[in-house]
Amino acid sequence: MSTKGTHIPDRLKIPFAGITPAPSQEKGQDLFPTGNWRAIRPVYRDKLPPCNNACGTNEKIQGYLDLVKRGKYLDAYALIKEDMPFPSVTGRVCYHPCEQACNRGKYDEAISIRAVERFLGDLGQALKHDVVKPGKPNGKKVAVVGSGPAGHSAAYQLARLGYKVTVLEKSPKAGGLNRGGIPDWVLPQDVLDREIERLVELGITIKTNVEVGKDVTWDDLKKNYDAVVLAVGLTEPNSVRAEGENKEGVHYGLPFLRDIGMGTSKVKVGARVAVIGGGNTAIDCAREALRQGAVEVTMITVEANPQEMPAVSEDLHDMLEEGVELMHGRAVTAVLGNGKVEALQLHPARFSGAINASPITVDREAQAERFHVDNVIIAVGQRASIKWLPDEFKTERGTIKIDKFGRLGDTNFFAAGDIVQLGSGQPLMVVNAVGDGKRVAFNLDKVMRGEFLQPRTIPVDVIFDLNRMNMTYFPHFPRVHQDLLPPASRKKTQDEVIQAFTEEQAVEEAGRCFSCGTCNACDNCYLVCPEPCIARPERSNGMYKILVDYCKGCRVCIEECPTGCLEGVPELDFDTGVVRMDTAFAISPGLHGRQAEELRNLGDRAAKNI
Amino acid sequence: MSYTELTVWTRGIIMDKEGRDIVNSISASARIEGKYAQAMENYVDNPDRTNCPTRKYCRVSDDVIENELTYENEQPNIVVLVEGTMVKGWDYMRGMPPGGTLVINTHYTPDYMVRFVPRPERLAQLVCVDAAHLADHKWLYYRLGELGLDRLSTEGAAERSKLVAPDIAAPLIAAVVKTTGIVKMQTIQPMIANKTAFELALDQLHIMKLNPVAA
Repeated sequence: MSTKGTHIPDRLKIPFAGITPAPSQEKGQDLFPTGNWRAIRPVYRDKLPPCNNACGTNEKIQGYLDLVKRGKYLDAYALIKEDMPFPSVTGRVCYHPCEQACNRGKYDEAISIRAVERFLGDLGQALKHDVVKPGKPNGKKVAVVGSGPAGHSAAYQLARLGYKVTVLEKSPKAGGLNRGGIPDWVLPQDVLDREIERLVELGITIKTNVEVGKDVTWDDLKKNYDAVVLAVGLTEPNSVRAEGENKEGVHYGLPFLRDIGMGTSKVKVGARVAVIGGGNTAIDCAREALRQGAVEVTMITVEANPQEMPAVSEDLHDMLEEGVELMHGRAVTAVLGNGKVEALQLHPARFSGAINASPITVDREAQAERFHVDNVIIAVGQRASIKWLPDEFKTERGTIKIDKFGRLGDTNFFAAGDIVQLGSGQPLMVVNAVGDGKRVAFNLDKVMRGEFLQPRTIPVDVIFDLNRMNMTYFPHFPRVHQDLLPPASRKKTQDEVIQAFTEEQAVEEAGRCFSCGTCNACDNCYLVCPEPCIARPERSNGMYKILVDYCKGCRVCIEECPTGCLEGVPELDFDTGVVRMDTAFAISPGLHGRQAEELRNLGDRAAKNI
Repeated sequence: MSYTELTVWTRGIIMDKEGRDIVNSISASARIEGKYAQAMENYVDNPDRTNCPTRKYCRVSDDVIENELTYENEQPNIVVLVEGTMVKGWDYMRGMPPGGTLVINTHYTPDYMVRFVPRPERLAQLVCVDAAHLADHKWLYYRLGELGLDRLSTEGAAERSKLVAPDIAAPLIAAVVKTTGIVKMQTIQPMIANKTAFELALDQLHIMKLNPVAA
């Protein structure tokens, strides 16, 4: 019999026969441990959400979305900053592989993770002092060559680890590809400037106009620093090997964008511009050409249709909205004109292999087309320029040869970013370079401290299957979309095209996260447990605990866990949780025997009043 | 004079029949062999509660059993756990004299299970038999229609099937009889419905010898 809901005089508030306190009451659980009914035990085990797995730098996306949902913006910002030095940049430029992987995409629409990241990044930019502090100085000096995404990330992580970091940048302004490869209307310069300032605030020295191979040699680096990270990127544009490519009016994609980004551009584009290439840089060039005054921009690609183009589909869509024309299945075989480009000679072409990195087959027998243009921008990829590097560390592709830890042989040189990722199967994107820089920084730290290096292990339990979660808790809800400037007005300005989320939008969008496989402290288990045998000193992931003395293994918490982080493990797999309990009417005194003893000690007064 | 006490620990409703079958078939065989036997399979533990721990008792003796009015075995020589996780739950070894036998239905080995046994030094042998696997047991929920009244809270009163040990009880009986010799194999074997599982169990027992008591 339970006394729940009954008024019990104080003197009787100890267990005695006939009336026993409910398990939720004081001392109630001393009497009846029920754990011995259990064949399976619920266990909290966080799995990896697919967004986290897909992210190039493995940001804890579920974690910061959860914090934004609860209004803890600063904590969320600090959480991103563990893996990513500049959320304000990736919040604008990232190709968001997380959103492609998002489980919500299979249900209704993926979460706008990038937009929330940008919201947090902008919040971080507005802070007077950054939340990240430099590590305790360890007296070691590290040079990071290149201040692009990989170099920025490596320098940032090393400064956090306590290294004295010097960044060497050959351009007059730091930022690398972030500054030189991304147009202003995607990533405004002042945003990047602020992020570079943050690096300086961390105690990092940035030396611009210093080129390795010219101003600094390999031996200088070796002599002056304890370790070096080479994040030099791919700086030399590929040519299309067409006749007359050196004519005036022919530009190359990355230098074209870089000069505009650095403010040193002298290019004046004509009315008709052709962009050669089908990748992201080509798209940026085409859109930039419009902003530089071009009237008609045509993109000429070898790919047979837009789906095959190795570009982010959103950007492709925005580009077409701005009025850029596409011309597929053609290759430039000659640039025609008298001293200055006047027209292009095009032939039908296709990729000889299945992927668009394979050699191009041009049908030169077919009738050549003449395509009138005033300017050509060639954006067909980049290659490395590493003549200063000892030959033993070069690959056949002209990139840097590293082991699986990012290290050059057994030297204290490491390499990260596009310079090692070209041809490795990794996408050459900002976030992948950031992730590479981070991992290399951690490896460098291990080498410096004489610890064993461990290859990056990919956790196997990524929760891709929605059936592992309880979908009843997630109503369908549309994605919050970011506003865009109208195509007609935006294509003439350098204003940012994609607009930021308001606070309300960010919170609403973060609230849509399933928190796949990871506890987000929803308290469901705590509330549904019939025993109740779930304890939490604080409502937070990692603070929930099953009291195994009372858990009967009814599985209610497991079934009702929305995120699928609770799972049932056979009880006999555990050595612990042995509850020796005597059943009622036991022969020898067990817990009930103890109860009887306490009853005996009640004394006369209590007995009279019963 | 030989006097043996057997206590079976099982779970209410879902495995209640298994417990009943073990004590009833062993005591019935003992009587056929001309011994005195008692079987108590439904008393204070209220086996009409799903999953609750429930005990069944059996006593076999060459002489008249004096103890007629109590039903709990105070010194069980043999203890059977019909469900493996019970090994962590109770002091089922309470009162066991040295030289006892513990039989557990589990797919784990005795080497693993012995860590959960309270004061295992009293055991002469620990026997593990994967009865659920040998009897190809599908549990209650998968065949509720077939089981019908047999597995509801009637404690056997409304059973339609009169078969003895059609299920996981068969391998457990085989384990008890083979390792203790409480009754003769040829007496009990004809009673058992699930002969395949019974015979498989005779070959597939995991026996761990502990502290045999000198006869």
